[in-house]
Amino acid sequence: MNKEQFLRKLDSSLQRLSSDERRDILHDFEEHFAIALTEGKSEEQISDSLGSPTQIGKELLANYHLEKVGTTASTGNIFRAVWAVVGLGFFNLVIVLGPFIALAAVVFAGWASSIAFIASPLLALVNIVIYPGSFELFDLFFSISLTGLGLFIAIGMFYATRTLTDGFVRYLNYNVKLVKGGLKHD
Amino acid sequence: MNIQFKKGVLEICVLALLNKQDRYGYELVQKISSQIAISEGSVYPLLRRLTKEEYFTTYLQESKEGPSRKYYRITDKGRAYLHKLINDWQEFSIGVNQIIKEGVSDE
Repeated sequence: MNKEQFLRKLDSSLQRLSSDERRDILHDFEEHFAIALTEGKSEEQISDSLGSPTQIGKELLANYHLEKVGTTASTGNIFRAVWAVVGLGFFNLVIVLGPFIALAAVVFAGWASSIAFIASPLLALVNIVIYPGSFELFDLFFSISLTGLGLFIAIGMFYATRTLTDGFVRYLNYNVKLVKGGLKHD
Repeated sequence: MNIQFKKGVLEICVLALLNKQDRYGYELVQKISSQIAISEGSVYPLLRRLTKEEYFTTYLQESKEGPSRKYYRITDKGRAYLHKLINDWQEFSIGVNQIIKEGVSDE
């Protein structure tokens, strides 16, 4: 691979980054090539010892996405960060994507049941409208108490969602350090 | 050597090389690759990450031959981190050496 091919490959793997950031990164590698060329190395030798531009791109992307999640934790950002970390290796597919799906399922289930509980008096009313003869106070009061329960679950889920999101971002960070090969991190 | 392991060690190497003097990227890469076998390109993502985490600052300086060079300078925060890493490393290597000694002396 010559210098131009290397830089083009690296650039194309960085498309998600801002153009400033990309220019900055490419500039670092151009500098590397320029200095190594003055030492009499060939472009092929230089790109060989640099390693795979796609792998370098993956590392840069993972850094970038984690940093973004660190500042603003929106759903899209978290998704992209998960994806970037998964991209670092198949190993992570199990230890990142697995917990992520499990957590997302728990959060989803919690919200779904709280909304269903809150809405249950409506169902009781619908039931009365469709079968006017079957009116029972028990149904009505039971559904109203479910509403109360649903509200409590919703409040609980609000805090749980926040805690789980924070925890997961921390787990992602830990994971990237692990993948990057930390010995011991706190 | 195991790749994950090498990357962790790379962090210590970069910080240690900058501890005494400022250096530019290519220089750092050469210093490290003269001692351990690495993919040279992986040093640059590391430099960017450590710079963002405020362990380094950077500045450009003209050179007589070729383009201007980006120099890295370690910050106080970076020094503190380096010392923590060195401690971790020493604990770790003492542990491993102990285990090797016990394992091999039995044979």
